[in-house]
Amino acid sequence: MTSGSHPFFTLDIGSASIGAALVARLDGRWRLLASSAAPVAVGIEPVLRHLAEAAAAADGTLLAGAGDWRGWARVESRTRPGARVVVAGPSGGAVEPFERAFRMDGWQATACVTPERSVALDAARALRDPDLDLVVVAAPGGLGGNDRDALRDVAALVGAMAGLRESLPVLVSGPGVVAMPGPPGERVVRSHGLADAVALAREAVPRGADGREGFIRSIVSIAAILDLHVEGVDIGLDAGTRVQAEPDGLLRRLVLADAGLIPPAALEDDRLLDSIAHWSTLADEAYAVRDRLRNLRVAPWRDAAGDGARVRLAAARAALERLEVAWDADGRNPSRGLDRSGEYGGQPEGPGAPDVVVASGGAFAGPPGPAVALALVDTMRRPGPVALALDHARILGPLGTLGDEHDRRRLLADLLDDVLVPLGSAVVVPGLKAGRMGSLRVIADGALTTLPLAPDGVQVVDLPPGLSATVELEAPDDLFVGIRARRVAFTLSGGLGGLLVDTRDIPLRLPDRPERRREYLDAWQLPLWTNANA
Amino acid sequence: MTAHPLLDRIPPRSAVLVEPRVRIAVLPGDESLVAEGDRIAPGDGILRRPRHPQVGEQSLRGRRVPAPGTRLAEDGSLAGDDRRASRFDGGGEVLYATPSGRLRAVVSRHHGTVESPIGGTVEAIDACLLTIHGEGSAFPAALAVGEPSSGPLVVAVAGPDDELHARGIDVRHAGAVLVAGSRVDIESLTRARAMGVRGVIAGGVIGADVVALRASIDRQEASVHPSPPFALVVLNGYGKRPIPRDAWEALAGAVGTVVGLAITPPLVAFPPDTLIRGGEPDRVRVVAGPLLGRTGRVVALAGLRRQAGGVYQDCARVAIDPVAAAEAVNPVDVPMADLERDG
Repeated sequence: MTSGSHPFFTLDIGSASIGAALVARLDGRWRLLASSAAPVAVGIEPVLRHLAEAAAAADGTLLAGAGDWRGWARVESRTRPGARVVVAGPSGGAVEPFERAFRMDGWQATACVTPERSVALDAARALRDPDLDLVVVAAPGGLGGNDRDALRDVAALVGAMAGLRESLPVLVSGPGVVAMPGPPGERVVRSHGLADAVALAREAVPRGADGREGFIRSIVSIAAILDLHVEGVDIGLDAGTRVQAEPDGLLRRLVLADAGLIPPAALEDDRLLDSIAHWSTLADEAYAVRDRLRNLRVAPWRDAAGDGARVRLAAARAALERLEVAWDADGRNPSRGLDRSGEYGGQPEGPGAPDVVVASGGAFAGPPGPAVALALVDTMRRPGPVALALDHARILGPLGTLGDEHDRRRLLADLLDDVLVPLGSAVVVPGLKAGRMGSLRVIADGALTTLPLAPDGVQVVDLPPGLSATVELEAPDDLFVGIRARRVAFTLSGGLGGLLVDTRDIPLRLPDRPERRREYLDAWQLPLWTNANA
Repeated sequence: MTAHPLLDRIPPRSAVLVEPRVRIAVLPGDESLVAEGDRIAPGDGILRRPRHPQVGEQSLRGRRVPAPGTRLAEDGSLAGDDRRASRFDGGGEVLYATPSGRLRAVVSRHHGTVESPIGGTVEAIDACLLTIHGEGSAFPAALAVGEPSSGPLVVAVAGPDDELHARGIDVRHAGAVLVAGSRVDIESLTRARAMGVRGVIAGGVIGADVVALRASIDRQEASVHPSPPFALVVLNGYGKRPIPRDAWEALAGAVGTVVGLAITPPLVAFPPDTLIRGGEPDRVRVVAGPLLGRTGRVVALAGLRRQAGGVYQDCARVAIDPVAAAEAVNPVDVPMADLERDG
C-alpha cells in the first residue's frame, strides 16, 4: 500500500466526550485513517495514541515515515456550555428581542432585568452571579418619559453592579442615551442595535476555536462542494446547533443552549424530564426514567448500551424537538423575512427543504445508524425526500476552525466519502387519508419492489449504502412532498437504514397515554433496532 | 498516562483532590467576616448573610452619594450621614443611587452566618465570590444540595451497599455528618435535619427526593427561626448507587474527625491528617450496567464489542472480584465507558 504523508489529528473536545480522528494524505488525496471517541475524563493523549496504534495495526508501513505520532499536527475545536448573559432594558418589549437573539446564538440568558418585571434584589443577584459573562443593556432611541426614566434606572443598577466586579463587560445596544457610572469605559461596548449586538458580544466574550461555529462553517463548505441544499444538526451535552446552507452560502443558523442532550435545568425540572421521557420506550416507573435521564446529564458517557441507548436516543429526539420548535419560531420572526406558513401544522417552509441532512455530536455517537435516521425523521419533519448522513468521526467541528475556506473545501472534498456515513434516505408524505391506500414502487439495481402506501406509518425498504433507487409514489388523492401531485418519483440513495417512507403527520402526533405512546414508538422503531438485543 | 497502558483509555475515578478550592457565592447584602489571607477552620463564620432581605429606598437628600457596596450600620444609617438623613429599616448594603435621587439598599433586621465547610486560607473575596484554598484532601461528588456544612463523621450504615432509614437517626447524631450508604430518602433527610444533623453523605439519591429537600430547605429559610446549615452530598449520581470502596474505606477511617461538605464544587473534605489510600493502578470499578458497583482487575483489552441495543463499544476484559468465596466469576467484557479505574 502507498505510504501516507502529512498525518494530522482532528479533535472535537466537548463537555462530555472527545471525538478524535486521524487523517493523512494517501495516493494524492486526504483520507480518514481512524477515528475514536472517549469520555473527556480520559484525556487527549491516550485517545490519540490509540488512533496511531490502530492505523499502525491496520498497516504497519502506512505512516512509517511520518515520525512519532506526538509530533503530528492537531486541528482542535472545543464546545463549552453557553456563555451566561443578563439582558436589561427599560421594558419587556425592549428586552425580549435581545434575549431571543442571544438565546438563538447559544447564550444562556440567565435573567431579564426591567423595572416592570424585576424585583431589584433579584436583579442584583443575577448581576452578581460569579459565572456571569456579559450584561446587555437594550437602549432603544426615541423613548417616552417613563421608558426613558426606566432605562436610566436600569442602567444605574447595571453600572453599580458591574462596577463592583473586575472584568464583567457591558454591552449597551441602541441609540438611547445611557449614563453608566461604575464600570470603566473600556469595559463598556456600544453597538448600534440588535443587528450588530450579537457579533460584538462574541468579540467581547471570545470562545476560541469553537466547535459549534466550526460545524456551521463546515456545513456551508459541504453545501458548496456538493452543490446542494444542506442542513446540519449537532446535538451535544450543552447545546444544539442547526444550520441551513445552500451552494451560495449560509441561509440560517441557530445555536440553542436549551437544545443540549439534557439541559442542566432538567436536573430540577420534572416537567422538562417528562417531556424528554415522552420519547422513551422504557416501561419503567416515571421516577426511575427521570433518574436515568438525570444520570445521563451527570455522566453522559456511561450506560450507552441496551436500554441506555434507547434513553439516549429519546433524549436526542427531545433535544431535536426543542431545536425544531426554536427553529420554527425563529423562522416566523418577522425580522427574518422568512414567515411563509406551510401546509401542515403551520410549519414555515423557510428557504426550502434540504437535499441532505448531516447529523453530528455526541448524542448520536452510540445508537445504531438506522435508529439515528428515524430520530432525525421523527423530529425534523419536512415533506419530501431527503438524504441522511452522520458525521461519525466528529470531524466537521475541527475542520470548520480552519481559517482558510479554500483549505477546508479541499480537505472536505477528499474526505466526504470517509467522514459522512450514509444513514439512508427518507420520504415524508403526510396527509394520506384513512382507507385511501396508495402504492410505493422502488426500482433498485434492476429489481422492482411494490408496497402499499398506508397513512400514519413508517415503512423501511432495504436499500444498502452505495445503491440508488428510483422511488415512485402514487395515491388516489394528491400527495404533498414539497409539491402536490398524485404520482411523484425521486432518485434516492441508500444507507445503513435503507429507505424510510414516512406517511405520518407533520408535526408528529403521539398519544398522551404512556402505554399507547410506547406502543406507537416501538412499532415505528422496531424495524430499525432489529436484532439489537442479540 | 497511567502506569498501566492497558488502562489509560478507561476514565479515572474522580481523583482525590489535594488542597481543594471551595467557592462560596457572595450575595447582595452579605458582609464578609474574613479577609484575604485569613486562616479559617471548618465551621468558622465567613459571611454574615441577611435573612429575609428586602430592598429599601431613601432619599439622597442630606447625603453624599455612597459607592455601591457601602455597608449600612445596624440602625440603618450610613457613615457620614447628617442627623436629618432618614435611616433604612435595618443594616445592609448600598445597591445603587437612582438618577431620580433615591438611594436603594439591601436591608434586613436579622442575619445568619455562612460557615466555612473546610479549613484553609481565604484565597480571594470580592463582591460576588469568596474562594477558600483548603487544606487536606477531598472526594469530589456528583451533586450537593443545601448549604456548606461540617461536623464529626458518623458512619450510620453497615456497608457501602446499605441504605439509611429514618429510624436509624436520633438526637445522638445532632451536629454530626452521617454516612448513609447507597441511597437516602426524603424521610431520612427530613428526620436528619430535624435532629440537628449537619449533613448526609450518600452514594445515590432519588431525584424527586432532591427536589423535595430543596423545597424543604427553602421553606425553612422562609421561617422565622434559623436552622443550622445542612448539606446532602451524593458521591455517585441518581438512584441507588453504592459508595465506591476506596471512598468507603476513607470515610470509615475518618469516623469522629470533622469533615466538610461543600456545595460548589460538590465534595467531601477531610482534614490534613486523614489518610486517604490511593487506589491500586490496575483495579477498576463498574459504574453502569448489570455489574454496577462490582470491582475487578483488567486482564486485557477486548476491542470493539457489540452490546445490547446494537451499540458497538470499546471493551476491557475484567476479572470481577467474587462477592462470596463460592462465587465463580469468569472474566467479562465491560465497556470501558462503564468502568472507572482507581489509580
